[in-house]
Amino acid sequence: MEMIKVEGLYHSYLRNGKYAIKDVNFEIAKGEIFGFLGPSGAGKSTTQGILTGLLQLQKGNVTVAGYNIKNISRKMFNKIGMSFEQSNVYSKMTAKENLYFYSRLFDVKTRDPVELINLVGLSGKENIKTGEFSKGMKHRLTFARSMINNPSMWFLDEPTTGLDPAIAADIKDIIKERNRKGVTVFLTTHNMFIADELCDRVGFIVDGEIKLIDSPKNLKLQYGKKLVEVEYVQNGNVKKETFSTIRQEDKNALNKIITSKEIRTMHTKEATLEEIFIKVTGRGLV
Amino acid sequence: MKLLSSFKKELILASRSFYFYIELIFALVILAVLLFAVPENFSSTSTEYLYLNLPKEVKEIYTDTILESVPGIEPEEVELEADGKTYDAQLIVTDEEEIYIVDNEEAVRTLAYSEQVIGAVIELDDNNQPYYKYYLQGYESTRLKNLISILFNESTDVLEERIENQEVRPLSTDYEPLNDRENTLPPLIAFSGSLMGMFVMASYIFLDKNEGVIKAYAVTASPVWQYLMSKIFVILLTTVVSGLIIVMPIMGFRINYGLFLLLLLTTGFFASSLGLLIASFYNNLTKAFGVVYLLVILLMVPSIAYFIPGWDPVWIKIIPSYPLLQGFKEIILPNGDIAYPLIASAGFLTAGIILFAVTNIRFKKTLSV
Repeated sequence: MEMIKVEGLYHSYLRNGKYAIKDVNFEIAKGEIFGFLGPSGAGKSTTQGILTGLLQLQKGNVTVAGYNIKNISRKMFNKIGMSFEQSNVYSKMTAKENLYFYSRLFDVKTRDPVELINLVGLSGKENIKTGEFSKGMKHRLTFARSMINNPSMWFLDEPTTGLDPAIAADIKDIIKERNRKGVTVFLTTHNMFIADELCDRVGFIVDGEIKLIDSPKNLKLQYGKKLVEVEYVQNGNVKKETFSTIRQEDKNALNKIITSKEIRTMHTKEATLEEIFIKVTGRGLV
Repeated sequence: MKLLSSFKKELILASRSFYFYIELIFALVILAVLLFAVPENFSSTSTEYLYLNLPKEVKEIYTDTILESVPGIEPEEVELEADGKTYDAQLIVTDEEEIYIVDNEEAVRTLAYSEQVIGAVIELDDNNQPYYKYYLQGYESTRLKNLISILFNESTDVLEERIENQEVRPLSTDYEPLNDRENTLPPLIAFSGSLMGMFVMASYIFLDKNEGVIKAYAVTASPVWQYLMSKIFVILLTTVVSGLIIVMPIMGFRINYGLFLLLLLTTGFFASSLGLLIASFYNNLTKAFGVVYLLVILLMVPSIAYFIPGWDPVWIKIIPSYPLLQGFKEIILPNGDIAYPLIASAGFLTAGIILFAVTNIRFKKTLSV
């Protein structure tokens, strides 16, 4: 069962035929983490804006969590959560007041604001006005707010941007944990490492068009080189050799080295998502 | 429930913001000015400097005539300073004038010039007839100059006879005028209460736009109109409080507060909806300043007609602040027309609803990512 279905989606900000996105088609299954990857201005935020009702649907068919976006129902928002790239909390209210206020805007059972504040590592900061927060702290609060209504469809726009590695790791763990509980995630990012780590499938978007959709694993198999690079010790010297994983004679040679030599390092020559993106789209990610 | 939560949130935000207190402090300042600086009735006493270049007997007759016109007044010997010189004068204070009778023409000229008032010299001509010489400032109207000419070219008896034979019939027999302090209330309530709401509302929206919180609200199960309406409620609350701060100490319980609150709320709703609509077109106050400024100027034009009743062109009546001012005036008038503020309230409510509906559509359409 799909959680999101997009067919023939177009959007022009000036309604002049110059499209920010054109003929976008994809589906996201329930419980999937879908990464929407592309450089700045590619159309990621426009697509996400339409899916979340922030932008009006102009052309195409879109359903989100079973709701048709053409005639958007406020009830849909009981099922979705949205974490913005730019943190947007009331600076004159405390962290707790912010989350408490948003918790009152849903028709479904909501989560305890303090529990969420603690979850994103802001314990003890609940009664501080967010105007005094750092950029990273505000970003974490924005992320926490997106979980207030226990969404089954979760939109995350650059969720780890500006966070230090330890906090970013915590955020990734939270996303994985929510996904294990069945939450579908639409992740918009230009960070290929987080996409590689979290996503079941990724879509590459450039100049408003989707160039490719597949799982990171398939993409690596398809675009990575089928080679193994080995560093081993021979006669007291470190030697480095590359073997094909397809040719039988290379396989035999590799097997012989593994069994008879001291191996220092051994890597498959997988392509990174970033390399694949550049190969497929001919563009970088920045 | 969601609307109530939004309203509570707006109250918290307003209580922690600058604009909320500006309105209340502004109301208190206006009240202080009205109570301690604006008299109930502005004084119309004028000052004149006279030199009576007349024989002693004629001079005494002239002075006695002035003194007899207001029983109980006594002339007072005073010293006047002007242009570094001191002049002796006799001061006669009547209900309408302060007349300084000085000893020479040079004193009249100097005092008239330094105090910027009219000075006069009264003499006898060759035929022993009164001859009047006036020292004017030069900027007096032709009307005043003509009046002075008529006064002394026409026999006083003829003028008095004409005046006595004039029949003056008031069109309204039960009209009780307001005193000067009360008369200044409608423009002050209109601008500090109702119309200030427009400016404050736009400011609140720009603060929210700056923080991006409208987008966060737009992805909740609460409709955008509730977000907008909760802001209007806060504006209405401050409008009512500031309106009552100004009006209650001045008018006491002499006005119909039900009608007053009705007009205050409907005009406040209209003004804050207008503020919302303006804010929907711009991202910050700097960009909106030109439009807000022009609108404020336009809305102030009817206050000119308010203070100059003789200037009341038809086009001015379509500016919303015109019925607003007249509506408040009818409410505080002792025998005011109740129908006027009721009709004005209905008009402002209708216009406010239309503006609000348009604004709601605009806010939904202009959300960005």
